[in-house]
Amino acid sequence: MSEVALNPMTGSGAPQAPLRTLADGRQSRRAWRAARVTVLSEFYEWGRVASTLGMLVIRAALTYWLWQALYATTKSSAGLDSRQATTYALLGVFYVAFRAVNRWAARDNMVQHMLEGTIAYWFLRPVSPRRFYCIKACGDLGYGACWGAIAYIVCLTTGVIAPPVSARAGLAALACMALGLVTLYYLRLLIDLACFWTVVNNQLVIMYEIVQNVLAGALVPLWFFPAWFAAFDRLLPFQGTLNVPLSLYIGRTPVNQFAGALEVQALWIAILAVLSTLVWRRASARVTVLGGSDDHDDGRGSRTRDPR
Amino acid sequence: MTTTMDAGRARGIRADLDRKPGLREQAALYYRISRLNLKAQTAYHGEFVLGLLFGLVWQGSMVLFAGVLLLRFPGLGGWKQGDVLLIASMRLVSHSLYVACFSNIAMLSMTVQEGRMDGFLLRPMPVYRQVLLSRFQVNSFGDLLAGAGIFVLALFRLDLGWTPLKAVYVVCGILGGTLVEAGVQTLLAIGALRFTGLFTWTSWVDQTISTFGNYPLNVLPSPAKDALTFVFPVAFIAYLPAAIVTGHTATTGLPLWLTAAAPLLGLGFFLLAKAVWYRSLRLYQSVGG
Repeated sequence: MSEVALNPMTGSGAPQAPLRTLADGRQSRRAWRAARVTVLSEFYEWGRVASTLGMLVIRAALTYWLWQALYATTKSSAGLDSRQATTYALLGVFYVAFRAVNRWAARDNMVQHMLEGTIAYWFLRPVSPRRFYCIKACGDLGYGACWGAIAYIVCLTTGVIAPPVSARAGLAALACMALGLVTLYYLRLLIDLACFWTVVNNQLVIMYEIVQNVLAGALVPLWFFPAWFAAFDRLLPFQGTLNVPLSLYIGRTPVNQFAGALEVQALWIAILAVLSTLVWRRASARVTVLGGSDDHDDGRGSRTRDPR
Repeated sequence: MTTTMDAGRARGIRADLDRKPGLREQAALYYRISRLNLKAQTAYHGEFVLGLLFGLVWQGSMVLFAGVLLLRFPGLGGWKQGDVLLIASMRLVSHSLYVACFSNIAMLSMTVQEGRMDGFLLRPMPVYRQVLLSRFQVNSFGDLLAGAGIFVLALFRLDLGWTPLKAVYVVCGILGGTLVEAGVQTLLAIGALRFTGLFTWTSWVDQTISTFGNYPLNVLPSPAKDALTFVFPVAFIAYLPAAIVTGHTATTGLPLWLTAAAPLLGLGFFLLAKAVWYRSLRLYQSVGG
């Protein structure tokens, strides 16, 4: 395993500033083609797309019937009526299903790149690893958003879920959801970057997803939890990713509280953005490339020199 | 001379391989393999600790889901809160046993993708057993802890007039539930012998059982209930055995004998699934070409 020096922020193979030309700009735009990779790998096996669809339909139907049954003996609980709770729960199901695409089968998870040593290529491309990660995440999000939009329209037109209480509430929910997705991007990035220290982060990813689903309200609407739990959750960045937009959507939270929620989300995004920049810098400076061999192999992989 | 010696040694090795190991030898082998797998897991300390916690957090979130709903709503489908808690706790304990003993079959698509399956086909041990022993599931400790905790809590909250027969039936119900879950994942794993990317399905099955296996299924419309009984047998994991113990057999819509035979059917289903899996091994396609 040989020691290689890589530029953490630009990629070692990337031309440095004085050499940049018009062609770089074109190359930079071309980099966005990487956003298609997840979609292409998904459609490479149609069975996978069909199974995603089938699984979602079954899960949505079971969720719908469960909430209808829960409200069979009562009209309202925790300030939510049957229609509001069902709408919230179903939108939560779509959110979990389409928030992230499982790249495991395509061997394109950060941990897989780390274990197979292919993480080195991220630093050899003419696009910085940080940008490459962002481009791929945008591709995943776009793909998930398309599915989410289809599921939403189908459920809305069939009357399974309710429309937003008002146009303002709908727009407010959409804005909150957009900021929530940015928050989620940074959170997931930090979890993935942990690989640079731990090499393996499978359990960390799963734990994060569970905790995130519970604290965001994807499993049960947060209105059903005790007040102390909701108060504690308000201090964390998760609630803004789902509970706040959905509460605005169903009318459980008045639209005039929208500005406050937006401020909290913006604050969290700023904190996470700064943190992720710092962590990227540290992570790139210590990337471990597993695989290969040379005379200086110490059995633990090679580490890049910090170029600073 | 050399040829004769080689032939003799080969015969000896073959005879050694053909000899069926005794129960004690098998147990010693399982112990050694599991110990080595556990040692391998400890290579990544942080991952190991998180693995221990994972089962607890995952099952805890499912209990939270069920608990919050049960506290907010008076009951479900004619079942009282305590009765529903019994379904959830039986499901949790059977799931924890499944994770400890059988969950590696659900990861077969990964095993195949990593090219490890080829080795299993060459070694002198049943392939299915090798798959089950291929990894040590650290999270089974957390699962078992969460399951046992909730089960004890449910027992305290329920006043069912326990008799030895009821207690034995609950144990059989839990074991039957374990085998049903193992059977479902075994049947699904047949697909993994041929296609990559099946892990999405296995994790979906796991999630669906974890979420909807905790409730009385009589709340669902008839076609959905039938599908979760006869097509995807979630009902046999905890709902039907709990119906016998709590006396809700009328709500199942099934003959009493069929409801009561749930643990036995679980065993039959698993054996059938395993037999079908072995027959399907001929479909196996190595990813290495």
